[in-house]
Amino acid sequence: MSTEIFESAADAILKGDSDKAVETAKKGLGEGLDPVMLINEGFIPGINKVGDMFGSGKLFLPELILAAAAMQNATDIINEAIPEGEGQSRGRFLIGTVEGDVHDIGKTIVVSLMKANGFEVMDLGRDVSTDRFIEAADKFNADIIGTSALLTTTMEGQRRLEVELKKAGLKERFKTMVGGAPVTQRWAKRIGADAFAENASEAVKLAKALLETA
Amino acid sequence: MSNDIVTRMGDGERVQLSAGEIREDIQTGTADAAQRAGVPELTAQEQERLFDIISDPSRIVSVNPGEEVIVTDDGCSMSFYSGQDGAGVGVPLSRMQAVLTYERACGADTTSLGHSDYSYKPVKPIINFEANDYYNTSMMTTAPFFYGAQPNLGLYFQPDGPCPNAAELMPMGKIDEARRAQEEAAGHLAKDLVFVGSRLADVGLEGLNFDTSGSAGDADFMAALQAVAELKRKVPDLPILMGASGEFVLGMHGEVEYEGTRLAGLYPQGQVKVIETAGADIAGVAINTATTESLPWNLSRAVTFVKAASGASNIPVHANVGMGVCGIPMMEQPPIDSVTRVSKALVQLGKADGL
Repeated sequence: MSTEIFESAADAILKGDSDKAVETAKKGLGEGLDPVMLINEGFIPGINKVGDMFGSGKLFLPELILAAAAMQNATDIINEAIPEGEGQSRGRFLIGTVEGDVHDIGKTIVVSLMKANGFEVMDLGRDVSTDRFIEAADKFNADIIGTSALLTTTMEGQRRLEVELKKAGLKERFKTMVGGAPVTQRWAKRIGADAFAENASEAVKLAKALLETA
Repeated sequence: MSNDIVTRMGDGERVQLSAGEIREDIQTGTADAAQRAGVPELTAQEQERLFDIISDPSRIVSVNPGEEVIVTDDGCSMSFYSGQDGAGVGVPLSRMQAVLTYERACGADTTSLGHSDYSYKPVKPIINFEANDYYNTSMMTTAPFFYGAQPNLGLYFQPDGPCPNAAELMPMGKIDEARRAQEEAAGHLAKDLVFVGSRLADVGLEGLNFDTSGSAGDADFMAALQAVAELKRKVPDLPILMGASGEFVLGMHGEVEYEGTRLAGLYPQGQVKVIETAGADIAGVAINTATTESLPWNLSRAVTFVKAASGASNIPVHANVGMGVCGIPMMEQPPIDSVTRVSKALVQLGKADGL
């Protein structure tokens, strides 16, 4: 049965069918499926397929917009069903999409998985300035600052954060993690970020590892 | 295996790779292009020739005498006088001086004039001045002298133009409205392209360049094709170069067609066919450079796409070798080691008729 639901979830995203995506999310949760598994096994493969097809000119902007809306609607429902980490927090994770960049589907998925894994998460949303990252990290007393960038032109925001943290003498206080489609391990190393996560699951693993070694 | 071959990443960073790593990048690069565009991979022999070009220890490389091709200018003379923020060197020259310097001092095969905005729309209200400047300069030049700019459909959307903004409508889910806005804008754009081209033709235009067509998506590309066809009807002897803006036409609309061919997602071998159908004389192809991949990977992809386009086309195919295109690293001043390797490979293996 779960396989059927996962397939239905992926298909809803691929077709940009918001109603079907919401219905599938509710059905999966109603049948007791683990919310994280529902995202990972159903909806994420769907949005990944959409991304691949868009990247290779097999699917176009109107379809991408519909698929993104369907994904957002489904993840909103699933996020509500994910229990906040019980007991002691694993750590405080601050995240946002860098300035000039309004993409947040990938970042929202990271938020879901971090919460599901017991992190206290502050999501600053998208188009977040470097100053705002630093101010919020200070107030939230974050352990890790995660930044997402989908464009090569906005990746510079991740570098700016590293530079400003160093200038302010805060680089040692916060661990930094970078992600996003054009971001690589090489880029993380070049700008001095503490970690690069290829996807949401890896972000969770790396966050845990960073805090263990802190 | 030692990492002893100096090459670059797509962002221009110098890296040293082993022969094995370079061969692997060439193989995966051609496989990626072949899979995306549905075209054949480079043969083992072609891959080995590409390896030889990339791993040549000389700083610059070149084709053999007799294999040289024409370089069509798309705004190079503008680089003399525009500032660093416009990827230029900021030399205080007039437009005419820059064109003549490029022709006479640099030995350019062709030269070109363009408005500093490099879009056709802003030229419309100043066409008399632009035609006059073109005419005066053309009296001094010997090499073919183009007028060039980008179609740039974006300028026809509010607040810069009359049409509802498709980029605002689309995220609101107003897809039909966004599509209608693009179609309306494309109508305006095609009209302006024909107007500017015709007026320049009146003063003896030697060649018109629709540079980076489709940068705002498939409706932008369609407008350029329609304008080429209309100009060829009005001024049959006017040579037109129509260059694309990426390895596939972006589907911002998704459904527009030209002569029965859906434009969204069209790869170079399809782009050159519709450009040819419209009546253009030269087709320009542009392959995206991935900044996070190596020059061998990017170049191998570019050669694969260009070879397929050259094979499909009945008109000359000129490969764009500007920054961040066709394997050239994404740097404002592309390094000569990369530019020469890319040029040689595109001509010898990609069978490009010009650059």
